Amino acid sequence: MKILYFAKLKQLVGKSEETIIIQKKKKISQVINELKKRNEVYNFAFKETNSLQYAVNCEYVDLDCFVTDNDELAIFPPVSGG
Amino acid sequence: MQILFLKKNFIESNFINKFSLNNKDSGAIFSFIGKARPKNQSNTILSIDIELYEKMALVQIKKIINKLMKKYLIDDYLVIHRYGKVKPGENIVLIVVAAKHRKESFRFGEGLMDWLKVKATFWKKENFADGSQWVNQKKTDKEFIDFNL
Repeated sequence: MKILYFAKLKQLVGKSEETIIIQKKKKISQVINELKKRNEVYNFAFKETNSLQYAVNCEYVDLDCFVTDNDELAIFPPVSGG
Repeated sequence: MQILFLKKNFIESNFINKFSLNNKDSGAIFSFIGKARPKNQSNTILSIDIELYEKMALVQIKKIINKLMKKYLIDDYLVIHRYGKVKPGENIVLIVVAAKHRKESFRFGEGLMDWLKVKATFWKKENFADGSQWVNQKKTDKEFIDFNL
């Protein structure tokens, strides 16, 4: 599954995207918990998951949404355009 | 009916004039220009970096427009949003709406802007002489979405 990071989260994680294999469908919250276990960088970046926004294939979703390896998951702080 | 994401600054009058000429039968042309401010409270802003998730911004803006078009009868629209580096005084966003009557064009334009602020995937980072900071979504913008969802 492709994961995209934007804005401040991209800075904290240190990359704009990465591909992970999750094999079977998982909730976004589970995916994030696994990322947090990787190291302190991820653990810190995802410290406040409720203040982040999530999108699967360009549609806003919440942390309980299921994702598969075919999805594009985007994670970012609330938008501030306009 | 056009949505454009531009890296370089643009002259709004060129787009508004062309849009107006293309919509000769519309009785109302609404336009809104959002510009980069030179200051955030007392801090002087040197520039603003605007990050864009293009694919999703396009999807979300189209969704907003479809929703508003069911509510308000309009003839045409143009949405331009900058990305990349923007200097104070430059344009960030331009919305132009053509409708038969003024109220539809006002309401469509205002609604589009309100939703764009909370759904379109752009992020601003303000650069100062002594550092930079990401712009947080305004509380009032968040309240708008909580109220209208």
